[in-house]
Amino acid sequence: MKKAVSIILLIISFFIIYYIQSNLFTWFTIAGIQPNLFVLLTLFIGLFAGKKLGLILGIIFGFFLDVVIGRQIGISGIMLGIVGLIGEYLDKNFSKESRVTIMLMMAGCTVIYELGCYVFNLITLEINLEIISFIKILLIEVIYNLILVIILYPLIQRMGHALEEIFKTKNILTRYF
Amino acid sequence: MYKKKRGVIGIIITIIILILLVVFTNRNVNQMSYIENICNILVMPIQNGFTYLKNKLSGNDAFFADIDTLKQENEALKEENSKLEQSLRELEIIKAENETLKEYVNLKDKYQDYTTMPADVINRDISNYSSTIIINVGSDDGVKEDMTVIADSGLVGHIISVTSNTAKVQTIVDTATAVTSKISTTDDTIIVQGTLDDKTALKATFIPTDAVVLAGDSIETSGIGGIYPKGIHIGTIREVVNTSNITDRYAIVDTAVNFEKLTTVLVITNNI
Repeated sequence: MKKAVSIILLIISFFIIYYIQSNLFTWFTIAGIQPNLFVLLTLFIGLFAGKKLGLILGIIFGFFLDVVIGRQIGISGIMLGIVGLIGEYLDKNFSKESRVTIMLMMAGCTVIYELGCYVFNLITLEINLEIISFIKILLIEVIYNLILVIILYPLIQRMGHALEEIFKTKNILTRYF
Repeated sequence: MYKKKRGVIGIIITIIILILLVVFTNRNVNQMSYIENICNILVMPIQNGFTYLKNKLSGNDAFFADIDTLKQENEALKEENSKLEQSLRELEIIKAENETLKEYVNLKDKYQDYTTMPADVINRDISNYSSTIIINVGSDDGVKEDMTVIADSGLVGHIISVTSNTAKVQTIVDTATAVTSKISTTDDTIIVQGTLDDKTALKATFIPTDAVVLAGDSIETSGIGGIYPKGIHIGTIREVVNTSNITDRYAIVDTAVNFEKLTTVLVITNNI
């Protein structure tokens, strides 16, 4: 029951983020560059709720974004799914209790997500390769995402631990002991 | 307790830095006159004092002799200036009205052969690497894929997908869009493409080697390619970038449409 409620809450948070991203961050930009809160949300799910939910919700969120506003369907779903999977891997190898670690995870995931999407679009849409412009935009986007992680860190920690308790606590069946 | 307080202060400082970054990076240098004013207020009184002293020492103080007459003259000039400014403002308003009316008449004449449908922009792309918009007309209104979308000042893009009530438009500033167009003065055919660098400009390539391309030349659709009808204004050439190999030269084209402020568009429903 708790799991179902949490998943519904995560989906609601996705929609809230979608409206914030398309209404606030289209003008609240750094040098015309928007942050990417969807990567943050998917990484958060992967880190605290596990790879299964991270992968599934990442694919669903990405697919939704592609359908609603994307140029072609598929790549955002795949890349957000990968971010969800990476979340679980990072959880196993690094501590989530440090702000700096979360920031580094976020920077890495933003780079992986945007690089994946760009390369895919480069191949399928036959767009011109603009390496310097891409790196410039990516750097600003990463910085913006990091600033948001700094601001949202207490919320990430609090919500994350609540989510972890629901999804990652092992239930010990005492009758077998 | 102390650690918690420090964390809150850190977050507040980060929010302030974020707001400052957003404000400063999105402003033009020429819009920063208020900062210039503040800086001037800080340094100018002392600077004036120094200038006064310097003039006194060099015997150049005749300028300050008849200060009362100068003040009166200054007041009269200020009054005259405000009157002139007022009449200038009135003229500007009349000029703007005249230009808008002219634009409407021209637009009507220019696109009279096309049947158009007005639409509002209801959503914008949330990615930094593409440029699509969503408009509030769809298949129920007769909108189909590949229809051309224009605004009052020129070409916006084409429709890439349609739902019953909305349509997704890939704009010409999107990096995946390439429009076959021509320089209206010489009729030379070129290709204009969106770039990641600038969402208000396009890159014109495949310029014929014998073509004379100048800044200020108007670019319009050529009709080749099957999506965009012929003769729709795209923009004007900002600069021509010459390379060592003339076949590689390219031009930067300023789009006629301001995509950041785009709120209403027209969908051409009968491409001819």
